Amino acid sequence: MFTLVIGGSASGKSRYAEALVQAQPGPRIYLATMQPFDAECEARIARHREQRADKGFETIECYVNLNEAEIPRGGSLLLEDLSNLLANELYGPEGGGAEAILPGIEHLLERCANLTVVTNEVFSGGSDYEGDTLHFLRELAALNRELAARADRVVELVCGLEHVLKGERHENL
Amino acid sequence: MIFVTGPLFAGKRETIRGLLGLTEEEFAACAAWDVQERALEAEPEILAEELSANRVVIATEVGGGVVPIDPVERRRREAAGRLACALARRADTVIRVCCGLPELLKGEWP
Repeated sequence: MFTLVIGGSASGKSRYAEALVQAQPGPRIYLATMQPFDAECEARIARHREQRADKGFETIECYVNLNEAEIPRGGSLLLEDLSNLLANELYGPEGGGAEAILPGIEHLLERCANLTVVTNEVFSGGSDYEGDTLHFLRELAALNRELAARADRVVELVCGLEHVLKGERHENL
Repeated sequence: MIFVTGPLFAGKRETIRGLLGLTEEEFAACAAWDVQERALEAEPEILAEELSANRVVIATEVGGGVVPIDPVERRRREAAGRLACALARRADTVIRVCCGLPELLKGEWP
């Protein structure tokens, strides 16, 4: 089962996605994409990692080159989140560009029984942006469309509520 | 008239063209898109009436961010929202496209 979860800032995406994956068979893997830049980041990441361990998740860190990540077979994986991964690939020192991402997703789909990808709805605030932002948005939107086409379910989170764009409703979330 | 709304780069044009089974040429002949950019040209009701001559009218959602500091941008965004409401009222069918997935908000599937 491949699920794409999309929503605005603080719309309840993580909570929903974690609950979804907790209901799926293990091993449960949390693929973290946030690169720790300083001590504050590290402390925050450590806290989240402990919270997830209590929920039965093993954390694997992957900032770029998803297609080379070592992923146990047959598990349920939560990738959080796609825009972070894209920013790492586009702007990080080791980034391989936006084109590195789809092969990485293919790799995850091959390895995992269940894949859940969290992405961001950041496309409703106009197009008047400085610098490279519009390019970033275009690349993220293309990935969102591609993954939505491949996914079994696409769920938009609105005020923490599940709004199904594709596939079945989930009974207990 | 079919009114299509949705976020930026969501695949609105391709999705509705696919639903209607039109070629790009056929589509271009009966559709108006990016109409949010025309929102300051006239009163929303007048502009919506004029645009309703098209089979398909597409506007990008632009009202989901912070209020723009620039007064012209603020007026443009406000007008775009009013125009979208006026178009949706006139439309027989309203479809929202998100991530290339169409969702029916009003009427029946074309």
